[in-house]
Amino acid sequence: MKKIILLVLAVALSFSSCEKDDICDANTPTTPRLVIGFYDFLNPSVLKNVSNLKVVGEGMTTGILFNGAETTSGSMISIPLKTVGTTTTYSFTLNSGNSNPALVDEDIIRFDYSTQELFVSRACGYKTIFTLDPTNPYTHTDATAANVKWIKFISVEKNNIENENETHIKIFF
Amino acid sequence: MKHTLRSFFSICLLLLLTFAQAQETTPKGEQAKQTKPVNSDSKTAKTNQIIPEAQLPLVEISPKIIKSDSIPLKTDRYGVRVGLDLYKVTRGLYDSNYKGIEFVGDYRLTKKYFLAAELGNENKTTDDDRVNFTTKGSYLKVGFDYNAYENWLDMENIISIGMRYGFSTFNQQLNSYRIYNANPYFAETPIIPSGKKFDGLSASWIEVVAGIKAKVFDNVFVGFSLRLNRLVTNKEPDNFSNLYIPGFNRTYDGSFGVGFNYTVTYFVPIYKKKIVAKKVEEK
Repeated sequence: MKKIILLVLAVALSFSSCEKDDICDANTPTTPRLVIGFYDFLNPSVLKNVSNLKVVGEGMTTGILFNGAETTSGSMISIPLKTVGTTTTYSFTLNSGNSNPALVDEDIIRFDYSTQELFVSRACGYKTIFTLDPTNPYTHTDATAANVKWIKFISVEKNNIENENETHIKIFF
Repeated sequence: MKHTLRSFFSICLLLLLTFAQAQETTPKGEQAKQTKPVNSDSKTAKTNQIIPEAQLPLVEISPKIIKSDSIPLKTDRYGVRVGLDLYKVTRGLYDSNYKGIEFVGDYRLTKKYFLAAELGNENKTTDDDRVNFTTKGSYLKVGFDYNAYENWLDMENIISIGMRYGFSTFNQQLNSYRIYNANPYFAETPIIPSGKKFDGLSASWIEVVAGIKAKVFDNVFVGFSLRLNRLVTNKEPDNFSNLYIPGFNRTYDGSFGVGFNYTVTYFVPIYKKKIVAKKVEEK
């Protein structure tokens, strides 16, 4: 009898200590970001690095951090979309912070989408997935100074933004 | 929550062990006190009477007479035990997010086996970091208890291992939720009110029960049990999950759960059965 009680005790203690589902695991796929790849306009199949690109959301004072810095010189970026509302506007500034103001070029892209909320787990709650508007997924404008847009072409690769494993938008410049 | 639950378990189990030991030591003492004087008295009384008569045939008869004297002392009472889970009732008093009641009952089938059942109703609002929901529903658990404790004389304590099959029908209402965003650039984590209701849910599960019941006085028993549950069927809502099931309690990732109750029961005796003492005959 005592052995049985000890067994129950051991099992119960092991149960009480495995309550890890209180914290949302970082590996759990939750609300995805918009994955953008930058490509060479002249050679559309080749990824091209941007130079000191700064991406700032509308109404925000600081840019999105890429590896801790506000500018990136890579060819792929992931930017979050607003989960409240159905539109998110970003300004993409090339050569941000460059001492030569002629090189600094700012383009603005507004993304329009619909959202859907999916249950993930107790610890993570819900996640939002996005579907870019099929007729008008983005609006590309220049910043107030009407110079030549540095972004030459935008291609929507995936309308459904469900995970971050694929490139949703290709930007050619 | 995590720490309170853990310490709560350890306190429970500590209690469980002390209960178990307390029960096992007392009967030995009582047995020693009670059986010895009875035997010695009857033996001396009988031998005093027997001495003047012929010696040979009566030597064999005399132990048999002793047996029939001591055996009728022990009878087992059979009947129905009904009661209430005090934990659920008292929790409703201090926890405004919880209302619940559980009736428990068992019927003694044989010396060792009891038919056992629990019937309950719960209304619980769970407030987690990311979801807040209300679960309402009823449940029924039916099964058996096996009393592994050897009672001395007229004691009727129970240390049991048993099993139950539980079934629950319930509904969930999602009160509010939050969207998880690993990249909170826009710093938006509003709590979104929902009020969406998921009806017609059900679940069934198997429980392994370890329990103790001690006779406090007359026919009143106090006991508690610890349960490990495993889901068998679970009808889940669309775009939500059965994070709490009445009777099963909180669900964990691997479809396991735990439960416990603290009961006060009243025993209604129906008939008595004399114990046929097999062990004495073997001697």
